[in-house]
Amino acid sequence: MTKGTVLVAVGTLFRLGLAAVWLVSGWLKASDPNQTFIAVQAYDVLPGGVVSVVAGAMPFLELALGALLLVGLGTRLTAVLSGVVLLVFIAAVAQSWARGLSIDCGCFGGGGQVAAGDTRYPQEIARDTGFLVMAVWLAIRPRTWLAVDGRLGGGAAEPVSGKVGT
Amino acid sequence: MGGAERSARKRRQGERVGGKPNPVTAARKSTGSRKQALIGVAVVAVIAIAVVVGVIYTNSRKDATSDGQIAAQSISLDVPARRDGAAVLVGRDSAKVTIDVYEDFLCPACGAFEKTYAGAVEQKLDAGEIKVRYHMINLLNERSDPAGYSTDSANAALLAADEGKFLAFHKSLFASQPQEGARGWSKDQLIALGKLLGITAPSFADGVNAGKYDKDIDAAYATAKSDESLWQQVGSQKGFATPTVAVNNKVIETADPNWLTNATTG
Repeated sequence: MTKGTVLVAVGTLFRLGLAAVWLVSGWLKASDPNQTFIAVQAYDVLPGGVVSVVAGAMPFLELALGALLLVGLGTRLTAVLSGVVLLVFIAAVAQSWARGLSIDCGCFGGGGQVAAGDTRYPQEIARDTGFLVMAVWLAIRPRTWLAVDGRLGGGAAEPVSGKVGT
Repeated sequence: MGGAERSARKRRQGERVGGKPNPVTAARKSTGSRKQALIGVAVVAVIAIAVVVGVIYTNSRKDATSDGQIAAQSISLDVPARRDGAAVLVGRDSAKVTIDVYEDFLCPACGAFEKTYAGAVEQKLDAGEIKVRYHMINLLNERSDPAGYSTDSANAALLAADEGKFLAFHKSLFASQPQEGARGWSKDQLIALGKLLGITAPSFADGVNAGKYDKDIDAAYATAKSDESLWQQVGSQKGFATPTVAVNNKVIETADPNWLTNATTG
């Protein structure tokens, strides 16, 4: 197995893994919109009307990113967008931590206020950072197996990068 | 060879052959970038459609209370109910035991409490064994979408007390309790409930619209929240929560099904 093959295999795993993350988190949020509203509101960042829109849109943004990654369409762009969304999530959790709020991130459903001793900010940020690593990898090396991009021969960009000798 | 160097060489190869543009690779490159652009458009379209459809769908699920009205519940209990600041004292003067109930009309646990114990409480009120002081708490005021239902409903219930309709108003709101995180009942719908229950005074509608008792409700909540004698175990620490039930100023545990009997015999 060449180095290129290993890199493509890792990328494929990351793509499908990140797809699963988005699909599961999006589904859990979409299926309980009231709880999602409470979770977004608990961050205490956005004004009321905006909370409503963000809480309504976010689950479906996540589902869309998950579906695109699953089929491998526009992997690089989707990975970049995933990274941006994850950075926003990390920033949101970090500001809650810094301000001393006591909330659950609601990353995979749930969310809202929790007792002061029940916060899990370091774990939540670490987990999102892990997902961010996967997104960054795919943004740099979007070529993967089982992707629509590969069939179109364009989307993954630099289709030859794995094959050019060094 | 480094990646930057390699792509620089590729670019040179692609653009020029012997100083002239290479027609073959130039064509291939433009097809590639057109594909890229199309894929980009497809990605953005998928996301945009998902989000727009999702928001519309979510709002339709969350706005269940936007149509229709709060069903009026009748109540046969006939005991005095007097507003006292942001609370309403219900029951006969002769009753020896006073139970303080702190409730938010949006709080699901309060709804469950009412569902389970309202009948027994009404019996004890009717028998003259207890008085109940209902405190209108707006703890969850930010938890309706749009925010404000806790305060609006508390204010309307206090105004209903002024009109002698507190018990039926209170019962009706808990019987048609909106979900936390969803749309509550609007001021107009609260006013309509008052009319259904026979409130004719225009001061009721004016008071609901103006938020007549909002400040009293805020102040009473702040007082209750900072009163450590009312705190309960919330998660891993102690704090104020709804519902809180206190018998003769001592918080009791309503998970015990005999709490009411114990309150009147102990």
